[in-house]
Amino acid sequence: MAAVEMPVEKWTGKVHEVRLGGEGRKSIVVGGETTLPFLHFEGSIPNRIAVAVEVQDQEPSDWATSLVSAWGDVLRDPGAWAKKAAEFGADIIVLRLRSAHPEERNTGAAEAKAAVDKVLSAVDLPVIVLGPEVAEKDNEVLVAASEVARGSRVALGNCMEKNYRTIAATAIADGHVVIAKTPIEINLAKQLNILISDIGVPVDAILMDPTTGALGYGLEYSYSMMERLHLAALQGDAMTAMPMVCTVGEEAWRQKEARVAEGVPASWGDHEQRSLLWEEFTAISLINSGADIVVLRHPKAVEVVKATIDRLMSQV
Amino acid sequence: MIVIGECIHIIAKRVREAVDNRDKGFIQGLAKLQVERGAHVLDLNLGPMKKAGPEVMSWVVDAVQEAVDVPLSLDTTNPAAIEAGLKLCQKKAIINSTDATEERLSALMPLAAKYNANIIALSLGKVGLPTTADARIELVAEKILPVAMEQGVPMDNIYLDPLVLTVNGNQDQAPETVNAVRFFKQMTDPPLMTICGLSNVSNSCPAEVRPILNRVYLIIMLGAGLDSAIVDPLDYELMEAVRIIDSRDDSTPKGELYLALYDAYGLSEEFDTSAVDMTDPELREIAKTIDVLQNKTLYAHGYLRL
Repeated sequence: MAAVEMPVEKWTGKVHEVRLGGEGRKSIVVGGETTLPFLHFEGSIPNRIAVAVEVQDQEPSDWATSLVSAWGDVLRDPGAWAKKAAEFGADIIVLRLRSAHPEERNTGAAEAKAAVDKVLSAVDLPVIVLGPEVAEKDNEVLVAASEVARGSRVALGNCMEKNYRTIAATAIADGHVVIAKTPIEINLAKQLNILISDIGVPVDAILMDPTTGALGYGLEYSYSMMERLHLAALQGDAMTAMPMVCTVGEEAWRQKEARVAEGVPASWGDHEQRSLLWEEFTAISLINSGADIVVLRHPKAVEVVKATIDRLMSQV
Repeated sequence: MIVIGECIHIIAKRVREAVDNRDKGFIQGLAKLQVERGAHVLDLNLGPMKKAGPEVMSWVVDAVQEAVDVPLSLDTTNPAAIEAGLKLCQKKAIINSTDATEERLSALMPLAAKYNANIIALSLGKVGLPTTADARIELVAEKILPVAMEQGVPMDNIYLDPLVLTVNGNQDQAPETVNAVRFFKQMTDPPLMTICGLSNVSNSCPAEVRPILNRVYLIIMLGAGLDSAIVDPLDYELMEAVRIIDSRDDSTPKGELYLALYDAYGLSEEFDTSAVDMTDPELREIAKTIDVLQNKTLYAHGYLRL
């Protein structure tokens, strides 16, 4: 059989490497790719794609039964939940401070500190802390989280166009990483990275969340935009070269196909299996378009996605 | 390059007020100022003007012709207003504009023939703007030129407009529109005239980057063969770029760079910015803008910052 010669592109750029954790805590580095996803023959992918597991600071009232039964009692306690997530194989714990949302319990800095502290004491994994995505509340609870987590190099999210300053300044002061989140739009993604860099956050302390569309709900937009960002990074654009984080679980489980068991066509098949597939397919697709961290919800999805990453990372 | 001044534009608040109040002095002042700054033609953009179109156009044309002695470009979607203006124009006017749809062509080409006016034809079809230069050529060849010939409009009077889109969101179209201009010039012998509304390239971009995007894109387009553009003649740096290109003034580093860019496009090449002296802030900004307009680096509002 004749040998097939693989076409090899010479890229000049690479994705920035960003480290989370350390100082007595496990650390993880994401990014650093010098090629498109998993083209091991072309360039290097020095760091494994990370699987983060989402933990919330209050028991979720709107989660699908299959999610609730997979986790059980730990849902009432973020520390126990994080510990269980670590047992299920999480590389990173994402703590969503959902109770701070004005439409939830509108909790403030003190509750945020307590929740972050619980998670940090329960596990030695690197941590990402997300606010409720309401600009004012994000500023309040993330500043509190930042203080408590000083020394643990967590990622604080999200910095958005309207409120990136406070969070970025806090992250600089306490030595954390920020997550820059923009609605699915490539020019805005780059612009926010520029703005955040401009006020002094080093490029190795920025992750970006270009907004995840779930399978059937804009996945193809996320996919192509992330691919374009990744290509621009490889072409040497430092302001698009931030490692990408995708909130897959949140988006996949928001959709009817994952949530609803009744009143849907029989041809949709088994609900439990369908909802898992929804999360897994969304995650695996985005990993193939350049995601560096996928945030998941279901333990089974963690297992499947991790096994897939193992195969994709092995250079055969 | 033929400079068509865009300042008499109904979207500008003061122009709208002057037109509404029939304030001749303001309109005439704006006309004179543009001509002083180098406009060869003045565009009179009155918007849709559905109701009082003919009357308003007549008033504006008369007012402007009293003040300056240059040809006028009649810019409205109302054909009756265009005809009213054409009747009064003392110099060969420009009809701005038809697209490639039957409706607009059949309304405007006969006017171009009857009044021996120039006419701007946008390569924009029924289903919108084609995304490739080739498809724009097709529209010109299959829709626009046949009607022009049928109506007896001399080919010299046709100004093809590829329709410039903003780099913010349509970045891949920036080089494609340059290609369209190049192809327009190669379509026929002798070549047809070409034109564009330049400032579209920076629509929705912040004020601090609009002028540099406009003038660098103009140089690229001129290199590709653009004959005329609707621009702001009060933009000093833009007119300076036009002067540098027209007089081939390479006495400054900026002039050298502008001419190198222009010449690269004249040879149908892209411009390699790697040799530009990035220690000079002015040249660095031009080089970054070139890379954005060539779709080499991704546009962001802050692209000049880092």
